[in-house]
Amino acid sequence: MPDAAFLMRQRSLFAFAGKLIGYTLLAVLVFIWLGPVILVIITSIKSNDAFLAGPFALPTQPTFAPYVTVWNSLGFGRLLANSFLYAACGSALAVALALVPSFALSRFDLPGKKIVFGVILTGLMLPQQTVLIPLYDTLRTLSLLDTRIGLIIVHAAYGMPAQILILRGFMTTIPREIEKAAFLEGATDFQVFWKVILPLSVPGILVGFTLNFIAIWKEFVFGLVLLNSEANFPVTVGMLKLNSDRYMAVFNLPAAGLVISQIPIVILFLLSYRKLSSGNFAGAVKG
Amino acid sequence: MTSPNLADERTSFIRFALAHKFVAFFGILMPLAIFAVFVGYPIVFTVYLSFFEWNGMAPQKTFVGLENYQYLITDKYFHTALLNNAKWVGVTLFFPVLLGLVIAYGLRSRIIPAPALIRTVIFFPVTMSLISVGLMFLLILNPLFGAFDTILRSIGLGSLVMEWFGDYRVALYTLAVVSGWAFTGMPMILYFAGLGDVPKETFDAAKIEGAGHFRMLTQVAVPQLRPVTAVVVMLTLFESLRAFDLVAVMTKGAPFGTTNVLGYLVYLESFWNSRFGYGAALSVAILVISILLAVFVMTKLMKGAFDA
Repeated sequence: MPDAAFLMRQRSLFAFAGKLIGYTLLAVLVFIWLGPVILVIITSIKSNDAFLAGPFALPTQPTFAPYVTVWNSLGFGRLLANSFLYAACGSALAVALALVPSFALSRFDLPGKKIVFGVILTGLMLPQQTVLIPLYDTLRTLSLLDTRIGLIIVHAAYGMPAQILILRGFMTTIPREIEKAAFLEGATDFQVFWKVILPLSVPGILVGFTLNFIAIWKEFVFGLVLLNSEANFPVTVGMLKLNSDRYMAVFNLPAAGLVISQIPIVILFLLSYRKLSSGNFAGAVKG
Repeated sequence: MTSPNLADERTSFIRFALAHKFVAFFGILMPLAIFAVFVGYPIVFTVYLSFFEWNGMAPQKTFVGLENYQYLITDKYFHTALLNNAKWVGVTLFFPVLLGLVIAYGLRSRIIPAPALIRTVIFFPVTMSLISVGLMFLLILNPLFGAFDTILRSIGLGSLVMEWFGDYRVALYTLAVVSGWAFTGMPMILYFAGLGDVPKETFDAAKIEGAGHFRMLTQVAVPQLRPVTAVVVMLTLFESLRAFDLVAVMTKGAPFGTTNVLGYLVYLESFWNSRFGYGAALSVAILVISILLAVFVMTKLMKGAFDA
């Protein structure tokens, strides 16, 4: 029979092996998911010569020259401003449009609730490509093709279904006692919505807005098809140019472009990732 | 709630609308009107257009009946794209979903330390545009200066080095795996949240009965996570069906159209070849596939996960 000391040693050996496996997995995962990002950042602060001398070496003389070059030649100032406009206005409009429907779906026993939900889900799952041609045609008829306002409207309309699901999920968690009291006092639906539900929904609205902002910032297809002039391009469409011989000869320019395109989202991500990565909004989607 | 017949539904809606004008107007009629304009009408128009030949500019559209669909059945680009979408779905259902589940389990069961760090690092690419992701992997997988080939060579696997985008045998899988890299964070956090909802006693009981991590994952966690899996599968299917951005930035369908996916083919035929009628027919094909998948997922997998 093994003595106690042996058992102890064996147990600590197991614990050590477990830790070793754990940290190895940690290292592998971080390497796979953070490695590419770090490599891009390193590449973006190298001069041409430094990159050609050692594509993976740490930069000995960091330079911001690639950022300046790519900023000027792609007109990143305008691209970022456009993307910001689309993301901010599109999300704000989507959230605004979704507020009352969410209130209606979370608070009332609506006749035809299932139809409304079916329609929302259709809007949510519809592959964009199936509506590209009609949207293109409609916007052209309305003279909104290749305009900023046209793209904002499209983003708002397609952002709304997700917003309704998120906000409805959030609003159902608001206790009903407060509004019951308000109704007993003789408040109208609008007053309850405006004075009770809306102020209490601010955290849900912020989450919804942030998710929609990121979604529009990432969006590419609508921007590609519904815009023609470079002056209106968002970052995603403008960056397409980076995949050309002119920029791909040395990697520091595309790398710098990548970093620039992502900075606004990194800031937003750092401000809100606890909320987003906790998966709380998943509960909202599940209903 | 029992579902009344349509007439009841209508009268009860009118009664509701009269009692709650604000809610009925801004909460139901307005969103339905927006959907009618931006979702309903486009779908109807696409179906209508698929029976016509139209270059997108001319005021006249020529009615051609089922010609677009006849062409579609024999179009080898359509076949390739359809097959590619299926492969793409296969890869994304396997790689990011399974990996997301395993990582989530590893984090919850504390096999992998630093859960907050891992969640942040893996979720981060979900916030990146696929255009940025695509450009990034064009750099990483570049045959001359790419880090990936260099790593393979340095660990003695140089024989595996390929033309990741140029070789028609692997190009599509390269794209699908890159999309998986960007997408893994999504199933991971959904499963992570889902595992947090599983009662701790369930795992403790299994542990007492001597279940290892593998059995714990497959026999305890997976059945408990069914609703999450339904949502994840749904998201993954539709994400794969929408695959477009990576193709547009990385390969543009090359080599020889072998990396075309349905969504990209619609774009090419409509906006490059000016065959809007045929593009519409392709759109209808995507729509039908989406509906079939949605019905399948709803009836087989969901079982009430989206019940209002």
